This record gives sequence, structure tokens and C-alpha cells, in this order.
Amino acid sequence: MRIVANAGQAARRRLEAAPQFGLLVIIVALCGLFTLKQPDYVSFFNLFAMGRSLSVDVVIGFSQMVVLAIGNMNLSVGSIGVCSVMLAGYLMQTWHLPVSIAFLLALALGGTLGGLNGFSIVKSGVSSFVVTLASANIFSGAMLVLTRARPINGLPASVSAIGLYRVFGFVSPALLAATTLGALLSVFFRYSVSGKEMLAAGANPTAAAMSGIPVNRSIVLSHILSGVLAGVAGLMVVVRVGAAIPSVGGQDWLLPSFLGPVLGGVALSGGFVSVTGTLLGAMLVTIIRSGLLVLDIGNFWLQLFLGLFLLAAVLARRYGGIFRRCL
Amino acid sequence: MIALRRLLETEWGGLALIFGLGGGAAGLLSASFFTEFNIYVMLRSGCVGILVAFAQMIVLAVGQMNLAVGALGGLVAVLFGAMLEVLDLPLPVAIALALLIGVAGGLFNGVLTAGTGIGSFIVTLASGSMFTGINVGISQSKPFHGIPAEFVAFGDARWSFMPALLWPSLIVAPLLAIFLYRLTPGRRLLAVGGNAHAAELSGISPGAMVILAHAISGGLAGLAAVLAVAQLGAAQPEIGATWLLISFAGPIIGGASLNGGRISILGAMFAVLVIALIENLLVIVMVDPYWVQFTLGALLLTTVGLNQWRATHAARA
Repeated sequence: MRIVANAGQAARRRLEAAPQFGLLVIIVALCGLFTLKQPDYVSFFNLFAMGRSLSVDVVIGFSQMVVLAIGNMNLSVGSIGVCSVMLAGYLMQTWHLPVSIAFLLALALGGTLGGLNGFSIVKSGVSSFVVTLASANIFSGAMLVLTRARPINGLPASVSAIGLYRVFGFVSPALLAATTLGALLSVFFRYSVSGKEMLAAGANPTAAAMSGIPVNRSIVLSHILSGVLAGVAGLMVVVRVGAAIPSVGGQDWLLPSFLGPVLGGVALSGGFVSVTGTLLGAMLVTIIRSGLLVLDIGNFWLQLFLGLFLLAAVLARRYGGIFRRCL
Repeated sequence: MIALRRLLETEWGGLALIFGLGGGAAGLLSASFFTEFNIYVMLRSGCVGILVAFAQMIVLAVGQMNLAVGALGGLVAVLFGAMLEVLDLPLPVAIALALLIGVAGGLFNGVLTAGTGIGSFIVTLASGSMFTGINVGISQSKPFHGIPAEFVAFGDARWSFMPALLWPSLIVAPLLAIFLYRLTPGRRLLAVGGNAHAAELSGISPGAMVILAHAISGGLAGLAAVLAVAQLGAAQPEIGATWLLISFAGPIIGGASLNGGRISILGAMFAVLVIALIENLLVIVMVDPYWVQFTLGALLLTTVGLNQWRATHAARA
């Protein structure tokens, strides 16, 4: 499998690294601007708070990225996330399960729901867009029927304790978990057979199938992975809020899930992932969100700016080559 | 018998039959179903949905999608409310401007997609976010209540079981049919959806057709938003927030292909009516309202699954 990584791929990797460098410049510039305006912007407390919300955005982005790798999409990231949230809450409050076991079972549910998506896509031949649009409503609907839309507040104190814990005074454990997941995903896509098979199947399913790659198995696997990651993001919210709330996720995660990967240079057509890009993309989202508060613009206009940045990012990638040639 | 088979072979025939049989069964199950008022309530709940489905359908026809239908609807609704309450414009002017804003939003989507070659999914995801941002930025998430009484009365008006709100759909549907099946631009639009390359080789500009489809989609989303304001009696910023599912479920259950080139106007219409019927039945048998979302998702998945299964088996036979 190593032979696949040839000179063409190296050239492509260099080309794809360009938007990430641009992102980094924008992020540093915005951080500098906000710090000038409000020196507290880089205070330990603000960095801690930003890290906590960043970790959720990063993992949501990863959850979308793994299915984009195979050329699919997953509109049910938020719905799977909230299902994991509510199951974890239920297991801890009603069954009094230890936090670790409840979390593991919640992640297993995420993987199962993602697997259902993948299985339906492979078996029916219907596009992932329609299948996950439908399943998002099935999952959310089932969750609402079962929980009657009531939040679960009686979680053990240890849950919120994790949320308040700070490493080195300003790093949230959730952020460490998110970066660890990123490192694992990098290794998975770069060195594991399954990961490479996924990318190959995403780049050209027919060619992949002809070279003996189990394309359908790769599709199901990527959706299982996406479901587990959606569950992780959900649990990060549980830890932050200290309760399991049924309004987490859902359609609210749709845009952020695409923002991270697409700002980071991941194409919707499949065959390519960028863990660093997704991380930087999510970072930009978090910085804009907190920066609007610093600039007194208010969160009402947040969606407008996120949309503008998304549009600017895809336009820059579309026409960036022309500018580079002009320079 | 032959007439019945012909009817069932069309995309909308089966749905019309389901609608009729479902309604009949509902009438037998519950005496409160076949009351004039209940039929009115059911039809009225589908009025906005039909136009939302049309707004998505016209873009599906050209082989693209529009995730911004709901966001554009919300923006038009809020601006429509602001024009009436803050600017105090006369109602016809406000309606005309609202529709124009819808068309402008659609043009924005269309020009960006056709001009840059970036996929409609990402373009409309981004533009949808921008529309929502402008919507909540202007309204600060608060509704505009200053809607003229006669317009709110139009939203409630009915003739026996026929809601007045259904008329716009009944007028738009044949216009769309004439446009798509009898007029050159419409035929070209479908041709581009069926095979953009072949269409281009025969002298049709795919870009122009994509822009046209998005503009019509925006106009229809605007019309749906104006009706939603009449239905709710206020310009709520949340209008459109739940349109995503119905916008795809309507045309797709109605027989439209996501690949473009194939749509069914009556199919989309009856699909939305079947959905309205199901919602109505769920309310009558008094199950949890949360079942509605679940049922819609399951319905969409089952229909596309069955269609795909039928297509593969027809191909094998």
C-alpha cells in the first residue's frame, strides 16, 4: 500500500498545504487584532473557555471529515451527537453506571447509528445526502420520543469536575482529547490499511473496487467512525454543561461540521483529508465567535460572518492558483 | 381499469391514491377527521410546504441543490415584516419587494454556483448561513408583529374546506408545468439537468439555466415566506428553520431525481399533502408530537429505498 504514495501525491500535498498556511496567517492576525482591542483576550480564563468550545468544533469537524474522505457526507452528525448525550445522561442518572462505562456505551451508540447510516447507504444505493438527511430526523425524532425533550440534570459531580479541570492552568482536557484524536486520525489515514483504503475508495470508487479494495466495507467503516466522533463531541458538551440536554447538536452542528474541514482545505469530492486543516478551520470559527464579542458586534451577526468566511475560503481555493501565478 | 393503471404509472398517481385511501381510512377511524374544519386545517398546514418543495424541486431539476431555501425564506419573512411594520409600506408593494428579495437571493446563489463552478451544496450552505445571519442581525431574533389585519385574515380565510392560502400553490403549479414542459427555457433547464454536457453541445448555456433555476427557487422561497407570515400572523425570524427536510422530502418522495432532469410537480404536491395528512393523523390519534419528525424521516428513507429497489429490479428484468 505504501507504493500508492508517489510523487504526484507529494506534489498534491504541497498544493493542499497552501490554504492551511493562509488559515494560520488569518488566525494569528485575528488573535493579534483582538488582543490589541481587549488584552484579556489571551487571559488564562478566556483561553480555557475558548479551548473548551474549540474542542467540540474540532471533533464535529473530524466527524464530518472522515465521511468526506470517502466522498460521502453525514448530515446526521448533530443528531447522533445528541443521541449519545442523552444515552450517557440516562445511564448515569437512572442506572447509576460509572461515568466511564456510560461514556463508552454512549460512544458505542454513536458508532452503531453511524453504522446504520453506512449500511443503509451501501445496501440501498441511495446517496449519503438523502440517507443521512432522513436518518438525522429519525434519530432526533426517536430521541425526542424517548426523552420527551426533558433534560437530565442529576449527573454525578465527577462529570462537571472533568469540565472544570485545567491542565497547566489554561488547557481544557477536552482540547487535549481533541488533539489526541487528531493525531490518531492522522496516523490512521496515513499509515493504516483501512485508512488508505478509505481514501482510495473516496478518490475513485471504481478504480478502488477493481484493485480489490472492499469499497462498501470502507464506506460503512467511515460512517461508524463518524458516528463515534459525533458521540465524542456530544460527551464533550455533557462534560462542559454538567447535564444532558436534548437541544444539543441537531441541525446546529450542520454548518460547523462542514466549516472545519472545508475551511481547512478538505474537498467534498473525497479522497483527501487534512487533520491539521480541520483543526485550523475549527480554530478560526472559535476565534471569530469569541472575537465578535470582543469587538462588540454581538453574536447576532455570527452566522453572517461564518458564511462569509466559508464562501471566501472556497473562492480562495478556486481562484488561489490564479493569484499565485500572478505573483 | 386501464385508466387506473395509467394513473398508478405516473409519479403522482400512487401518492394521490395513498392520499385518498389514507384520508378514507382516517375518516373510518375517527369521526373528527372528515369535518370541514379538520380538512381545512390539514390543507392549510401543507400550503407553505408545497411552495417550499417547489423551490427545491426547480433546483433539483437542473441537477443542483439549494440548502438555503429555509434561510432565504426566513430572511424574506423578516424583511417583509420590517417593510410593513417599520417602513409602513403598502401591502402590495411589500409583497412585490419580498418576492424580489427572494429572487435576488436566488440569483446570488445561482451566479456564484454557475460563475465559479463551486458545488451548489457548499455555496448554498455558506449563503444560507449568511442569510440567517442577516435575518437574526436585523430582527435580533424578535418577530415583527405589525402585519396588516386583512393579510392575517387572508391567512385564516377559507371557502368550505379550501384554505385561501392554498390558492398561490394552485396557481404556481400549472405555471411551473407550462414553464417546464411547454416553454423553451424550461425545456432547456430540464435538458441541462438531464445531461449538462449534452445540453451544452446542443447550444444551451448550462450556466444561464443554473442561474435561472436558482432565481426561480429564490422567488418561490420568498413566496412561501410571505404565506408563512400570513399563516402565523407575524414575521417570525424562525420561519424557514425547519424547511430543510420538507424541501427535499416533497420533491424526492414525489419522484424527482437528485441527479437532475426528472421532476414531478403533481408528485411533489401530493407528497407534501400526504405528509400533511400523516401529521394530521398523528395529532388526531394524539400520539406524541415528537413522532412527527421520526415519521417524516422514516417515510423519506422508505420511499427512496423502495424507488431505488424498483429501479434496480426493473433494470435487471
